[in-house]
Amino acid sequence: MYNRKIRGPLVEGNKTFSQISKEILSPMETSPGLWWYVAFGLASIAAVFGFYAIYITVSRGIGTWGVNNSVGWGWEIVNFVWWIGIGHAGTAFSIFLLILRQRWRTSINRAAEAMTVIAVMSAALFPALHMGRVWLAFYIFPYPNTRGPLWVNFNSPLFWDFIAITAYLLISFSFWYLGMLPDFATIRDRTKSKIKKAIYAFFGMGWTGSSHHWIRFESLSFILGGIAAVLVVSVHSIVSTDFAVGIEPGWHTTLFPPYFVVGAIFSGFAMVMTLMVIVRKIYKLTDYITDNHMDAIARILVFISLIMGTAYTTEVFIAWYSGNEYEMFTFFRNRITGDYTFQFWGMIICNALIPQLFWFRKVRRSWVGLLAVSLLINLGMWFERFNIVVTSLSKDFLPSNWVSYNPTYIEIGVYLGTLGLFTAGILLFFRYIPIMAISEVKSVAHIGNKKDD
Amino acid sequence: MKRVFKIGIFDEEERFISSIESLQKKEFKIYDVFTPYPVHEVFHLLKRKSRLPTAAYFFGLFAIIGVLAFLYYTSVIDWPIVYGGKPFNSFPSFIVVTIVITIFTVTIASLAAFSARSKLIPGRENTIFDSRATDDKFVIVVNTDLLDNSKSEQITTLMKENGAVEVYDKDFENIYA
Repeated sequence: MYNRKIRGPLVEGNKTFSQISKEILSPMETSPGLWWYVAFGLASIAAVFGFYAIYITVSRGIGTWGVNNSVGWGWEIVNFVWWIGIGHAGTAFSIFLLILRQRWRTSINRAAEAMTVIAVMSAALFPALHMGRVWLAFYIFPYPNTRGPLWVNFNSPLFWDFIAITAYLLISFSFWYLGMLPDFATIRDRTKSKIKKAIYAFFGMGWTGSSHHWIRFESLSFILGGIAAVLVVSVHSIVSTDFAVGIEPGWHTTLFPPYFVVGAIFSGFAMVMTLMVIVRKIYKLTDYITDNHMDAIARILVFISLIMGTAYTTEVFIAWYSGNEYEMFTFFRNRITGDYTFQFWGMIICNALIPQLFWFRKVRRSWVGLLAVSLLINLGMWFERFNIVVTSLSKDFLPSNWVSYNPTYIEIGVYLGTLGLFTAGILLFFRYIPIMAISEVKSVAHIGNKKDD
Repeated sequence: MKRVFKIGIFDEEERFISSIESLQKKEFKIYDVFTPYPVHEVFHLLKRKSRLPTAAYFFGLFAIIGVLAFLYYTSVIDWPIVYGGKPFNSFPSFIVVTIVITIFTVTIASLAAFSARSKLIPGRENTIFDSRATDDKFVIVVNTDLLDNSKSEQITTLMKENGAVEVYDKDFENIYA
C-alpha cells in the first residue's frame, strides 16, 4: 500500500501509542519556558500598537492613511491579499493532501489549519477598516432592509469577496475543530487536573472513539474536505477578480485567477514551512516532522516557484505582445524600470529565483536554508501584492492623475498589529491545543517502520 | 435498569481485529468497539455505514435551489436594477454566490447532522467504557445481560486466546451514546 522506499517512515523511532500521546501533548503539559513569555510579550506590544492604529483609523477616518484619489488601495489591500494568501495554506495543505491521500500530512495539518484560521481573521480586518465607517459594515449583508429594500449587488466581486471570506473562515474553523474532537477526548482522559478535565470534556463534546463516531467522523472529514477544496480555489480567484474586473493596466487579465491561487498556496506553504522549522527546533518533535516531511514541502515549493516564474513571464510577454501602450508602459516603465523597480525585482528574486535553491538536497536538509528561503518567499509575496496594487494605480491612463504613494505610520501600525495578533494566536495555539492531530499520527505510526510494510 | 458489559482490552490492532472475527464466528453480538484511531476493518466487520454523504448531497441540492431562487427574487422581482448592461437575471455571475453559499450550507448542515446523529454536543458526557481507548488501547464491548455464565466465560476465553491484555465485567446504570 505504501512504499517506504519513496518517502521513509512517517513517524520515526517505532513509538508506542501512549508515547505518541505523551510526546505530542508535552508542549501543553509542561511549562512553556522563558522564550514563550518573551515572544508573547513582544507580540502583545505589536498588537496593542495595532489597536491604537485601528482606534485612530476608526475615530478619525481613513484620511489618516496615505491612500489618495489615485492610489485608493494601499497597504490595507496589499496586506489583506497577503494574509488571505497565507490563510490558504492550512486548507490547501490539509484538504488537497487529504483528497490526494498523502498521509504525510498528518503531523502538519493541525498547525497549518490553525495558521489559516488566525491569518484569515487578520485578513478580514483590513477590508472592514477600509469601509471607513466600519459600524455600518452590516450593510453588506443581503437582508430585507428599510432602504427599499435595496439589495446588495450580487454581480460585484467585492460582495463575492465578502461571502467567500466569511464562508472560508467559518468552514476552516469547523474543519479544524472537527479534527480536534478525538484529541480533546485524549486530553480529557489523560489529565489529572479537574479544571482541565472539565474544560476539555466540554469542548470534546463527549467523544468516545466508538466505531459509530469514527465512521461518521471519517465520512464528514471527506465531505468537508471535498467541498472545501473548491473553496480553496474559489476564494483567491474571487480576490483576483476584485482586480481583474477593473480596467487598470496590469490588472485587466484573465491570468489573474490561477496566478493568484497558485501564489496563495505558495505563500501558505512557505508559512507552514517557517512554522514547522520553529516547532521542530523548539519542541524537538523531529520524530514526527521528519527531514522527509520538510523535504516534501520544499519540493512542492520549488515546483510552485516555477509556476510563479512562468506567470510573471507570461504577464510581461502578454503586455508586450498585446501592443497595448498602457500595458507596455505599466510593465516596462513602471515595474521593470521606474519608481517601483525595487518591489518588482524583489518579487522576481524572492519568488522565482531564490526557491530554486531547493533543487539542492543540502538546502532542503538544513534548517537555516529552509527558514531563510521560506521567509524570503513570504517577503516576495508581499512585494508581489504591492507591485500589483500600487504600481497600476499610481500611474494610469492620465498623467495628471499620477501620484506616488507612501504609507503613514497608522497603516504600518495596523499591519504590525495583525502580525502581533497572528504571532500571539499561534503561541496560544502551541500552549492550549495539541499541535498535531494525535489520532491521525497514531494511524500512520507504523507505516514504513514495520518489517511487513 | 442495570446493564452488564464485558470489556476486552487489546494492545495491538491485529489481535483486536482477530478477536472481533472469532467472536462473530461464534455468533456473539458485539455491542461496540472503541479505538484510538479509525480502523477500517472494524467498519466492515461490524457493518457500520454512514449516510452522511447522501444527506450532504441533499443539503447541497436544497441550497442550490434556495440560493438561485433568492437571487432571482431579489434581482428580478423585488428590485430590478441594471448593472453594467447585464440582464436582470444575470445567471453566469450568480454562479459564484451560489457555489460559495452552497458549500457553506453543506458544511454547516452536515456538521449539525453529524452532531445530532453521533450525539456529540458541547458539554455532553457520553458513557466511557474504558478511558484508555482514547490513548493507546483497542476496546471490545459485549453486552452480557442476556447471556448465561458459561457463554459469558466463553467470551472471556475467546478474547484472551486472541491476545487481550485484560478482560473484565462492568455494570452501567444508564448508557449515554
